[in-house]
Amino acid sequence: DDFLEPVPTAVLVGETFPNNAEELESVLVSVYDALQGVNSLELTDASLNHAQQIEFYVTEMLSDNTRSKSGEGEAGQFDNFTVQPTNGFVFDYYRSMYDIITKANLVLDNIDLAGEDAATIEGEARFLRGLAYFNLVRSYGDVPLIDGPILISDSEAQFTRIATSDIYAFIIEDFQNAIGSLDVTSTPNRASKAAAQGMLAKVYLTQGTNYGEAQGLLEDIINSEQYALEADFRDVFFNEANGENIFTVGYVASNSLESQNFSAEMLNGVGRTSGVNYVTDEAIAALDEFGGDRAQYSKRVDAQQPTQTQVVKWIPNGDADLGIAETSSDPTSAGNDWIILRYADVLLMHVEAILAGGAQTTSSNALASFQEIRDRAGLADDPDNPDDDANTVTVITRDDLLVERRVELAFENHRIHDLRRFGVAQDVLTAFSNANGHSFSATDLLLPIPQFEINLSNGLLSQNPGY
Amino acid sequence: TVVSEEDNAPIPGVSVIVQGSQNGVSTDFDGNYQLSVSVGDVLQYSYVGFASKIVPITGQTEANVSLKVDANALEEVVVIGYGTQSRTKITGAVGKVKNEDLDQIAVGTANEALVGQVAGLNIQATEGEAGSNATINIRGVGSIAGDSGPLLVVDGVVLDADFLNTVDVNDIDSVEVLKDAASAAIYGSRASGGVIIITTKQGKEGKTVFSYNTFTGFKEARQSDAYDISVAASHARELANTGELSLRSQYRELLGIDESWQDRIFDGGQIESHSLSARGGSEKTKFNTSLSYVHDEGVLITDDFKKYNFRLKVDTKVNDNFSFGANLAPSYTNRRRFDGSTHDILRQQPWLPIFHDANSIQYVDRNVYPDVQIGDYARERHFDNYDLFGDGSELVDISTTSNQNPAAKVLERDRTDKQFRMYGNFYGKYKIAEGLNFKATLGGDYQSRKQRRYQGVEASRNGASAAQLDLDNFERIHILTEALLTYDKSFGSHNLSALLGASAEKWDREYSSVAVNGFSNDLIQTLGGGTTVIENVSYNTEERLLSFFGRVNYSYEDKYLASVSLRADGHSSFGVNNKYGYFPAVSLGWNLAREDFLSESDVISNLKLRASYGFTGNKDLSLGSGLISDNIELYPSLQLYGPNSSVFNNEVVNGLAPINVANPDLQWERSSEANVAVDFGLFQGRISGSIDAYNKTSDQLLLNVPVSTTTGFSQALANRGEVVNKGIEIELRTRNITNENFTWNTTILASTNKNELTDFAGASGLITNVDSKRAAEWITLEGQPISSFYGYVVDRDIPLEFINDPYAVVGGEAQDVYVKDLNGDGLIDDEDKTIIGDPFPDLIWSVANDFQIGDVDFSFTLQGSWGAEVRNIADQYIFNQFSSREDFNTETTPDQQFIKEKIFTDDIISDASYVALRTLSLGYTFDKDLISRVGLSRARVYASGQNLMYITADGYTGWNPESYQSEGALNVGYQRGGSPIARTISLGVNLEF
Repeated sequence: DDFLEPVPTAVLVGETFPNNAEELESVLVSVYDALQGVNSLELTDASLNHAQQIEFYVTEMLSDNTRSKSGEGEAGQFDNFTVQPTNGFVFDYYRSMYDIITKANLVLDNIDLAGEDAATIEGEARFLRGLAYFNLVRSYGDVPLIDGPILISDSEAQFTRIATSDIYAFIIEDFQNAIGSLDVTSTPNRASKAAAQGMLAKVYLTQGTNYGEAQGLLEDIINSEQYALEADFRDVFFNEANGENIFTVGYVASNSLESQNFSAEMLNGVGRTSGVNYVTDEAIAALDEFGGDRAQYSKRVDAQQPTQTQVVKWIPNGDADLGIAETSSDPTSAGNDWIILRYADVLLMHVEAILAGGAQTTSSNALASFQEIRDRAGLADDPDNPDDDANTVTVITRDDLLVERRVELAFENHRIHDLRRFGVAQDVLTAFSNANGHSFSATDLLLPIPQFEINLSNGLLSQNPGY
Repeated sequence: TVVSEEDNAPIPGVSVIVQGSQNGVSTDFDGNYQLSVSVGDVLQYSYVGFASKIVPITGQTEANVSLKVDANALEEVVVIGYGTQSRTKITGAVGKVKNEDLDQIAVGTANEALVGQVAGLNIQATEGEAGSNATINIRGVGSIAGDSGPLLVVDGVVLDADFLNTVDVNDIDSVEVLKDAASAAIYGSRASGGVIIITTKQGKEGKTVFSYNTFTGFKEARQSDAYDISVAASHARELANTGELSLRSQYRELLGIDESWQDRIFDGGQIESHSLSARGGSEKTKFNTSLSYVHDEGVLITDDFKKYNFRLKVDTKVNDNFSFGANLAPSYTNRRRFDGSTHDILRQQPWLPIFHDANSIQYVDRNVYPDVQIGDYARERHFDNYDLFGDGSELVDISTTSNQNPAAKVLERDRTDKQFRMYGNFYGKYKIAEGLNFKATLGGDYQSRKQRRYQGVEASRNGASAAQLDLDNFERIHILTEALLTYDKSFGSHNLSALLGASAEKWDREYSSVAVNGFSNDLIQTLGGGTTVIENVSYNTEERLLSFFGRVNYSYEDKYLASVSLRADGHSSFGVNNKYGYFPAVSLGWNLAREDFLSESDVISNLKLRASYGFTGNKDLSLGSGLISDNIELYPSLQLYGPNSSVFNNEVVNGLAPINVANPDLQWERSSEANVAVDFGLFQGRISGSIDAYNKTSDQLLLNVPVSTTTGFSQALANRGEVVNKGIEIELRTRNITNENFTWNTTILASTNKNELTDFAGASGLITNVDSKRAAEWITLEGQPISSFYGYVVDRDIPLEFINDPYAVVGGEAQDVYVKDLNGDGLIDDEDKTIIGDPFPDLIWSVANDFQIGDVDFSFTLQGSWGAEVRNIADQYIFNQFSSREDFNTETTPDQQFIKEKIFTDDIISDASYVALRTLSLGYTFDKDLISRVGLSRARVYASGQNLMYITADGYTGWNPESYQSEGALNVGYQRGGSPIARTISLGVNLEF
């Protein structure tokens, strides 16, 4: 009977894998791979998750920072606020996050194989799982909670939406575990204690209940002195080995499996969709007015279409005028890493934690963090002129902070979450819509649950309001 | 003298031999013959199409014989699975094509030759490139995730269906098509798409006969008038409508170029074929060997196909009990492909030159393109921002795309497929006792495929950064061992024939692929010419099949016929719980014409009723290609972990993760089919034919069932769902005129098939698309065909006055259209979408006429398909160019809520019906006496044409209604331009000596 049971040679079989710490480590790598996403825009291929590579569609394009050039198709739905439950990006992002979760659960389910590495492996897996749930809960609201291996027949777990608060409790537990078991630093491509602290702080800020704890976590990172702002804003993006990045998704150029194409998608005529994540007039104005040095390294006029403005932070094919070297001969297989958490974000969250939901702060700790960001942006006072104090900040309002976050972290997929967290999304996006001939309603703040899931759920899964 | 009983006309060429001896002659032109015989000898007269006759010699010196026309060559032998059977005893639905109908057709491949030859066999040239594989369906599509194509068996070896375009048509002796499940069930788990059996020519006892067949022809593309977009016509229309030329049109007039891209890209070509064979042998050893060469340049530029075939087939009889033989057929094909998509290439504007010359270079936008020189490929974007009046007052843009020049896109790419394939077998046959034979066969096939694709630095708009070399290697070896025990015996009026067999097969496949980029020029187009390895994959797979099968055929007085068969197949892909599948079949026949009450009938010469029921299976998944897909296809019952990788600190680190949802219960798709039929012959077979009706239910389909993505997967393989195909097939053959100097035969074939999804495992209503950017939809709905086009219904065009700039693009049309508010709720939403067509034909037919007038032969075949639709996205590319300048004016246009993009409507769904004059052939056979002086025994010259007439339905704008992209069973009928229908005129010679 062996004749009919040949053993595969290019893949491994579940009966014998994973079987030791080393093999479990390789499953952990696949969790990072899931976050990294596949470099391809074959959105219809159900087996391809693009994860981080398409996140800008469901975040930045949904905000007032960017838009598609044509306003058409699935990409256009985000800038017009006409997102459909059938939208491929909405589905792709959802399933990508659960892909991360499933693989992380597989690691955690076999953690007893890990031996002496158990704590680190568990910490990393839980950090990544927490991150995926944090993305899900912020974008979709209540979502199914899968915390271990699951059968395809278990439709109750798959389609029961768990309340946001319970999801947050789960996320907090994951991040706390990661904080307890990981080293302060590592390569920014892997989870570290600081990364977990920063993300947990962001969870607390989002919940708006534990500002003190958030402040403590952020000050831990600051006081660890392991991270610092990069002197030149441009180097944050084009010198990946810098000391500012806390957690990034690693890519390498010219490798079809390990590269990314979001860089190319944001460039005119190179990306397949010829112009997505183009900068809105509103973002241009904000950057020009408040960005300082950051403006030129955040956006540029599209050389081929002077009426259009594109994102600079991830360009792969260089820009001589900006002193940015080419990093990839083929823009569609770019190596620019995606930054999920960097020290500037930590400093601005620090201010936010101190603000603690208030309208303004004059706390010296907050001012110090805030000023550090402003100084790096070339908005410092002239040190040789004692009378120059125009750029010295003495009070920070919520609006100041939001603007600063916008220009500092522009096109890094923070804007829509910031608007939601600051409670101004309704006003800002309504104004933005009115100015651009779209119509925004409060229900557009959450993405729809993918129609694919609704269809399969036989009525178990409810849709978000407005869809 | 030998004459025909029917009309008393003499019959030339009748073989007259003394039974049991080598002593024999043929009748001459007047039917006369002479032969030395002795009293007691028995003379046997035989001639094709007539019943043989025996005359004992009792002392007479003259034996005049009249032969009776055999009712439709009733004794024709038909190849069935693992054996042969006389046509009279066939109880299943088996179509047969003899070679004489095939090698007279001047085409390069067997699949082209078979179009329109068998009712129910639908061969569509979905790719249209020279040497490309056709899409073949027998009795409709019965599988969703699997492959619905038929099984191909050549000389007893099961081969991949794509082998069909490798076989040398000249080598084929006959093609049998096992259509119903009962006939196909002996092939068990692989037969649910029907079986095509090809038998190659065998050696013949006697003088060695050499044949040489050759033809050479010219091919040209059937161009589309609708897509023939010219600057002149567009400007004339603009002038007529508005009285003036817009700035863009004025600019285009300055450029002065009006290129026909269809002429450029569809450059036509030559086809030539040579085939030389020798057949002969002694009483003990017979052989057939052949060598052939086909070169087909196709109708697309760069399209080129070369095929070399060799064959040696030897059968020898060692003694009365033991014989053995060997058959070896290597072939080599070398195909340069048209590397591109016609819709994408031909969308470009006629004002664009291929290369810049002294005139065009003046218009280049130097701010953006400072380095473009005379002789470089011209791109549309080069011509933007032109200062029309020289004073900076008007900068005119006329580009519609940033793409590279269409000619560059094709010519600067070099994509070749080279394949060496070989199949063969070796058998020994031993007669154990009278009627009881044992046969052991060792056979198999080998395939080595090397695919190379180089995309040069000029091939795309991205220049050197997109230059890339891909090398793919695939090697496959398939080994088959088979043992067959057969028993044939007559007991009085009872006739029994039984078969018992076992076989074991294995396939080992090895795949590797390397890609490099980083080419700075095209000087060295090898792996070493690039700088970066961007893909590096290798893997191998194994597949095994173990089978046991048996069949009993029984007949009583040739009147009552029955056949029962069973096959058990065990396959490596399936789970421990369902390792073996069982495929039984039964069929019955009743030869009414042999009943007393009909045997004397002058009208009815043959009447047979047949009925059959059987089960067949399918296991072939087509999940895609690559390590992951191929491994899931072959080991779907196991939980598999596949490689992946991530990046830490710019170092790639390998990982492993589950790649599938294991299903240990997985098993074959199962088809059960009932077939009822009548075969008839009237007026001594002047009119003959058959009518088959079938109902085929395919269930426990191998489906990639959608599963919640919270499981980490979006689909899982399972056996669910059900598809029903029902249809009727009619074959009608008439001998309209049969005279010595004039014969006229007609064959009419027609088949209908209705495809219906009856169960889709809870996913009924699934809506899918193949391109999320142009998300035209298909729906898979229970009660409808497997895939139907889905979308809005066009109400009316947007009047020209509301289009922003209707003449911005040459040949341009609005991208949008008013659609119908089907539910009348005043708004257009998903509720207004409906089924707007399906890609499956309602009727496929062909009518063939053969005339023989003295030495002249003339034949033609009309073939057609009716009732299918295609979604031809090329309309949007070519008519609109995605030009927002031709969008409607959002300020002035009324009822904008009823406007949708045309691609989401039935605007781009067109009727794919066609009527084609598939073949037309006129030949002349030289007089035997004349050519015998130069040593020839047969010489025929002919002229032939393919698709000389090809009529498409109204509203079909494209090049080839048969063409569509392979996108799986749920998205059938997606046409992206495709390759055009080729029209061929050839001259050929058939010689024998």
